[in-house]
Amino acid sequence: MTAVIQASGLGKRYRRTWALRDCTLAIPEGRVTGLVGPNGAGKTTLLRLAVGMLTPACGTIAVLGQSPAAGPAQLARVGFVAQDTPVYARMTVADHLRLGAWLNPGWDDDLARRRIGQLGLDPKQRAGSLSGGQRAQLALTLALAKRPELLILDEPVAALDPLARREFLQGLMEAVAEHGLSIVLSSHLVADLERVCDYLIVLVASRVQIAGELSALLGSHHRLSGPRRDPGTMPTGQEVIQESHTDKQSNLLIRTDGPVLDPAWTVKPVSLEDLVLAYMSRAADGTPARRQRLGAVS
Amino acid sequence: MIRLSLLQFRVQAITAAAALAAFAILLATTGPHLASLYAASGISGCQPAACEHLASNFLQQLYTAGTYWVLYLLGVMLILLTPAVIGLFWGAPLIAREQETGTSALAWNQSITRTRWLAVKLAVGGLAAMAVTEAMSLMQAWWAAPIGRAVGLGGGGTNLAMGRFSSLVFATHGITPLGYAAFAFTLGVTAGALIQRTVPAMAVTLAIFAAVQIAMPLWIRPNLFPARHTIVAITALDNISLQQGGLNGSHFDLGALNLPGQPGAWLLFSEAVNAAGQATSTTPAACTAQADENSTPAVMACLASHGFREAISYQPASRYWAFQWTETGIYLAAALALAGYCFRRLNRRLS
Repeated sequence: MTAVIQASGLGKRYRRTWALRDCTLAIPEGRVTGLVGPNGAGKTTLLRLAVGMLTPACGTIAVLGQSPAAGPAQLARVGFVAQDTPVYARMTVADHLRLGAWLNPGWDDDLARRRIGQLGLDPKQRAGSLSGGQRAQLALTLALAKRPELLILDEPVAALDPLARREFLQGLMEAVAEHGLSIVLSSHLVADLERVCDYLIVLVASRVQIAGELSALLGSHHRLSGPRRDPGTMPTGQEVIQESHTDKQSNLLIRTDGPVLDPAWTVKPVSLEDLVLAYMSRAADGTPARRQRLGAVS
Repeated sequence: MIRLSLLQFRVQAITAAAALAAFAILLATTGPHLASLYAASGISGCQPAACEHLASNFLQQLYTAGTYWVLYLLGVMLILLTPAVIGLFWGAPLIAREQETGTSALAWNQSITRTRWLAVKLAVGGLAAMAVTEAMSLMQAWWAAPIGRAVGLGGGGTNLAMGRFSSLVFATHGITPLGYAAFAFTLGVTAGALIQRTVPAMAVTLAIFAAVQIAMPLWIRPNLFPARHTIVAITALDNISLQQGGLNGSHFDLGALNLPGQPGAWLLFSEAVNAAGQATSTTPAACTAQADENSTPAVMACLASHGFREAISYQPASRYWAFQWTETGIYLAAALALAGYCFRRLNRRLS
């Protein structure tokens, strides 16, 4: 696997608090990678380190094999759409395209104009008067028309209404289909990630809880329900991610590469949302989360 | 990047151009009349003995009329304020506004390094700041040339009679405005980079710049070159201030306002010394009686007859340009140091 982002022991500290601590991960090339995790997991810090907006306090990070923002060439290879998709409020849409053309040698003016046309944006309109969705689309257009090899987006749709969110992600997908670039996208909206991502990383407290291809993840996780049972007695190869028990019944979310053969279990597939939540709620030390239910004795 | 920088500088450039135009119109509409007053005063082509008197009359006339005195002060104040305004409104937001609105993430993720981005921004803003301030200074210098000539000829007696070394004149003429503008601008940029919020950065910029501009004429400028010291006879002084206090004028304070033989010199300090060469403010008993008559010449003559002389510390007029260059150099060096710090900070520690 070639990594577009490779981090090792990466840390960033603001005075005494660590925004990211000892983070080690590899994000594969040619994928649309979703980075999901609770607030404060370090997603934004990680992505801002990847584009060189921040410098690490410790550890290393390589983006496309080089240190972030190392020079004009490296900057040209990586596109970034920051949280809240900032644009210059006083500059017009056309001015933004001019900015892109002036500052990027690889600028694809056709692509930019086509996208602006498709979106129905008035080039003379000031960016400050655009809707949130239009602003996000303008920011995405700037990042795409620079023709990067890797596009990093930090919660680009968090502030958008469902329709604008869908249109934004659709635009992103079209770009992937057309140009085949690698994408890293952070979000806490699992449904959005499911729509666009083919690779998923769950990050909690700077640590990768699970990473893998979306289909493989869904295929290797199962929800089991059956008579009450001690999770410690599960066969090897079946890792309990989440458990909940009543007097008579056990509900488990497990990961296994093989089939579940025990006929006592009723096996159901898991949704991505359940999978992500299970990993997010699992304590950082790896013990399964114990889901308490009303009236449960455990 | 230069094109983007100019595009983003449009509003400031238009504002500055409008302000410059307004200033130019104000001076252009009043300047010719001031020049005609000067021509009518008979100073040009005056007999050397009469020049000083004519120059004083001219200044007195302007001062009494009021308008030109007010315009003169207004122009000087605007030139002094311009660097501060530029530091506040061009300098402080340069990085801080990008950080506040998040557009730094947009600007610094194009295919251009932050160093280049800042270099162009600093160059465009800094050069514009220097050009605007110096343009105002030159326009004011043209307008106030008659006043300057009258003062140069020894005209005195009013508040208008400020020599080239006086704080207000020195700081608004020559090349010092260039240094102030560059310094104030980079000071604003640095404050913005450090604080990352525009309004607090503006406040800090104003506070520091004001403090520097007060400290410079009061404590730093007089010591840029070692002062010269001289002791002259009291009778040789032709422009003095004498204050008497205490019972029967038992104490006095004699200050020289110009130095004979050194026209245009910058007097830093002067005090009376007795026959033994010691500084003293005690009026000799023989002279206290003179005080009752409230007659300055009588007191002066008496002091002189008791061996009193005046010790004067000064900077000669010939050092004017040395002072100008040195002070401008200090401000430019400070501006460069601040800019260097901004480059380092932008590349290493921004969040």
